[in-house]
Amino acid sequence: MKDIFADLYNKVLSFFNKTDEKSNAKDVACNRLKLVLMQDRTNLTPAIMDRMRRELIELLSKYMELDRELLDLNFEHEDEQMALMLSIPVIRAKNEDEINEILAKEDEEKERLEELAKAQEKSEDSDSDDESEDSETEEVIEEDDESDVDADDESQEESSEEDDDDDAEDDEDEDDDEDDDDENVDEDSKKEKFFSKKKKEK
Amino acid sequence: MAGRVIVITSGKGGVGKTTTSANIGTALAKLGNKVVLIDTDIGLRNLDLLLGLENRIVYTIVDVVEERCKLKQALVKDKKNPNLSLLAAAQTRDKTSVTSEQLKDICDQLKKKNDFILVDCPAGIEQGFQNAVAGATEAIVVTTPEMSAVRDADRIIGLLEAKEEIESYKLLLNRVRPKLIEQNDMMSVEDVVDILSTDLIGVIPEDTGIITSTNKGEPIVNDEEAMAGKAYRNVAKRIMGEDVPLLDLTPKKGFFDKIKDLFTKGKV
Repeated sequence: MKDIFADLYNKVLSFFNKTDEKSNAKDVACNRLKLVLMQDRTNLTPAIMDRMRRELIELLSKYMELDRELLDLNFEHEDEQMALMLSIPVIRAKNEDEINEILAKEDEEKERLEELAKAQEKSEDSDSDDESEDSETEEVIEEDDESDVDADDESQEESSEEDDDDDAEDDEDEDDDEDDDDENVDEDSKKEKFFSKKKKEK
Repeated sequence: MAGRVIVITSGKGGVGKTTTSANIGTALAKLGNKVVLIDTDIGLRNLDLLLGLENRIVYTIVDVVEERCKLKQALVKDKKNPNLSLLAAAQTRDKTSVTSEQLKDICDQLKKKNDFILVDCPAGIEQGFQNAVAGATEAIVVTTPEMSAVRDADRIIGLLEAKEEIESYKLLLNRVRPKLIEQNDMMSVEDVVDILSTDLIGVIPEDTGIITSTNKGEPIVNDEEAMAGKAYRNVAKRIMGEDVPLLDLTPKKGFFDKIKDLFTKGKV
């Protein structure tokens, strides 16, 4: 008997509480708006945004292990400045050896590709379609980079013993590290320029 | 005397720019300020209707610009409040009949003898918007808690930020429906402020009284009882620098809601 009453009571209750089921209309609106405004404020299409996100992950995962799924990228107005807010959970910081190894591999790859490009240039020197072909090779290079970093991630622990062989190259690596830093700074300033330009346009 | 020139803009149409202009203008005049309202929506004028002045308009802003009359002649005094006057838009012309420089010049002239010049901006971001903004140093961005209105407001804020003449801009959130917000069906005031990161000048609740007041040509600020009127009066006070807290818009609970609460609290 008691059960019947409780059942009835809860049924009445659920009737009154109907509205609570669709409680996320506002959240959906907020999230959609935030995404759309990010695109509006930067003139970046979803495809380019996605690529930027991917490249940022590639870049950062050279230095630490990241939770790629939970990356959050956002543009926010802070006072009068627009800020790029990037938040990624760090799973584990990589140690120096791992980082150096990845960088060394990357540099090797770069050198190899540069030589390849030089060889190609020589062979097509007097071609009239130079520009279009150049852009094609650039794309190929980037794709190669991505796949290499992925491969590095997987083969890190296996190849840690081979480090000794690379001792001679380590010094070079450090130099290269500095170079890389410079590159990062350059990129930062590029970003800043981009945003100040954006503001003027607005 | 150097009056303040405030443009009331939104990007999107139909969010209540003209209603806001009429009401803030009337409220400021009631507080003892000399106020001129300028309707820059040439070709689609409506501010005269909301103030109930449609039958008194002889000259328009285009007549002033084309020197068929003096600026003073074109100002139509409000029926009730001699502190308030309207410079109407022409209905038969388009936005190109006035330039930004001409509008800035009109604002500069009016500034000398008035406390507030409120410029009612047309929807859009084209010539009409550029004209309306030209003479202003402050802006009120009107928006509603809807996605399209917020998106357009964000665009307008970007454009205002790029304008050096605009020293400050504030957000006015119109047509807020507390009941929908409580049910999580509508973006809240905090959500919109957070997304646009712009300071609020006021929150106006959705009020059916706006419709009747428009029909009568009588701004709702003149209705002492109406919530929207109260909210607009508070906005006027804030514009004058007074620190007035936002109205409490939590929905009043009816008999039915109280029963609902009773049930929700004592779940078996």
